[in-house]
Amino acid sequence: MSIREVPAAIGRRRRALWDGRVQEIAMLLPALALIAVFLLLPFLSSFRIALTNERLIPRPVPPRFVGLGNFQQILTDHDFWRALWNVARFTLMVLPVQCGFALAIALLLNQKLPFRNFFRGLFFLPAITSMVVVCVIWATLFQYPTGPFNQIVGFLSFGLVQPIDWLGDPNWSMPAIVLLSAWQAYGFQMIVYLAGLQGIPESLYEAAELDGAGRWQRFWHVTMPSLRQTHVFVLIITTIQAFKLFTQVNILTQGGPRGTTDTLVHYMFTAGFVDQRLGLASAVAILLFFIVLVVSLVQRFVVRDRK
Amino acid sequence: MTTISGPAQMAAQTPSRVPRDWSAVIKFVAVLILALVIVSPLFLLVVASLKADRFQILADMGSFRAFWVSDPTLQNFREVWTFSGALPFGRYLLNSLVILFVTVLGGVFLNSMAAFVLAWGRLPGRAIILTALIGLYIVPQESIVLPLLTLVNRVGLSDSFAAQILPFMASPLYIFLIYQFFIQVPRDIYDAATVDGAGPFRIYWSVFLPISLPVLATVAILLGIETWNQYLWPLMVTQTDRARPISVGIASFFGHDSVYWNSAMAASVMMMIPVLIFYLAFQKWFVSSFISSAVKG
Repeated sequence: MSIREVPAAIGRRRRALWDGRVQEIAMLLPALALIAVFLLLPFLSSFRIALTNERLIPRPVPPRFVGLGNFQQILTDHDFWRALWNVARFTLMVLPVQCGFALAIALLLNQKLPFRNFFRGLFFLPAITSMVVVCVIWATLFQYPTGPFNQIVGFLSFGLVQPIDWLGDPNWSMPAIVLLSAWQAYGFQMIVYLAGLQGIPESLYEAAELDGAGRWQRFWHVTMPSLRQTHVFVLIITTIQAFKLFTQVNILTQGGPRGTTDTLVHYMFTAGFVDQRLGLASAVAILLFFIVLVVSLVQRFVVRDRK
Repeated sequence: MTTISGPAQMAAQTPSRVPRDWSAVIKFVAVLILALVIVSPLFLLVVASLKADRFQILADMGSFRAFWVSDPTLQNFREVWTFSGALPFGRYLLNSLVILFVTVLGGVFLNSMAAFVLAWGRLPGRAIILTALIGLYIVPQESIVLPLLTLVNRVGLSDSFAAQILPFMASPLYIFLIYQFFIQVPRDIYDAATVDGAGPFRIYWSVFLPISLPVLATVAILLGIETWNQYLWPLMVTQTDRARPISVGIASFFGHDSVYWNSAMAASVMMMIPVLIFYLAFQKWFVSSFISSAVKG
């Protein structure tokens, strides 16, 4: 390379670098712009809206700043506390049912079994079924008074138990929602548990067997402790999902009967979309965000603590 | 020694071997029955959708005839498809498919492009952008839908396909998933491509995309399922049949006094068919993508 060519070469390199920069910006920008407009902007503006009395369809009068009035109104609203309590109730019921069942199936599928992959595929089917379809199916299963569920209950109790109006009886509406939600969603927890089980080294079981541990002892002293991280993850994810409960409630019960299945998101939906009270609904949305945030932080904390 | 321990071992093994074989059989039968019970609601749906009309479906529901159809007919599907039922289901299904394909194709492309720049680009501030994205990932869709609705109304996108596609194409979670894959690509591969004088897009397109099929499939499956099952957002943003997806369409059956079970069931089966086809074709990838969505921590 002669001396005269050096500046030209530097120029070429600069040009290439510059071109590279421009290309990189062009590649990054579409995704970032969409996220900024459709995620960040609405998220930030929900904090502003929550402090006003804005309506979904604007009125001639401009929205007024109301300070923490919306939060005050929610926190003194009996229906809000009922919705929060219902979500908590749902979470407490769905966690053991869904995660316990998922773990049980994962343990079964983790053993030597003919057609194991076929069974895994079968057990995973509900997880890919849309919640709306699940509602159509379970609404027929829950039919009052002659649906399949009532037939089974009548059969098992020799006709002693009267047919139950699963979705219409305030005592049974939430357990019914729990049951169909767990059926739809356990597949996810099942494969997470399966992955966790496959990560347990075989040598641990062999050592336990040498020590004379029985099947039950091996489960409690080898399997369960080894799954600790998986448990934490599964419980957190299921809790977050549970707090967002909406679709099945909106379709099957509209929060009823007598508010027994009204949830946080359903309360927000009713306030903001049905009653058009955007400010009030945004306050609920912010509370929901902080609940999810706290639950996720608990996960980070527990996982880091372990490391 | 050997002559004694040999038969002794045999004797010790023989009694335990017979029950072990039996326990394998019992276990297999138990799993089989459990699987049948779990899948039976789906089976019931398919059977019911093939029955003559809703009176037949309701009449059979209380007995074992719920699981059997003596004279299967496609009448319900025909009604649903040709709009002669209560609602234009064919339209809803097509709407859903359009939204699905555009969202998934655009989403995989945009997210992977952004992930490439974040992983291998030279722009300053990439670390900050990545941190911000991870922070945003935690924001639940449910808590932004109402401000999003006012935004969409204001720019005149309400009741449109765009309103159901644009907000969900790019996503922090999927950018991060692909990013995690990209940073594990050996440096040599990147260097070899730069020596050839290729710009960032060329390297992304002809070197990185071809080797990242697994993670792209994962993102496509997760984003696809998410899009297909959207409910709260389309429920709020669609006011007419123009862009209404099938999920909201099926749910609107429940508003009526007597649910049109036959149409609801046929429509539900139709909603499941595309997912089932993909599931059967890519079962392994479905399961692994759900797992990788789990270990993003």
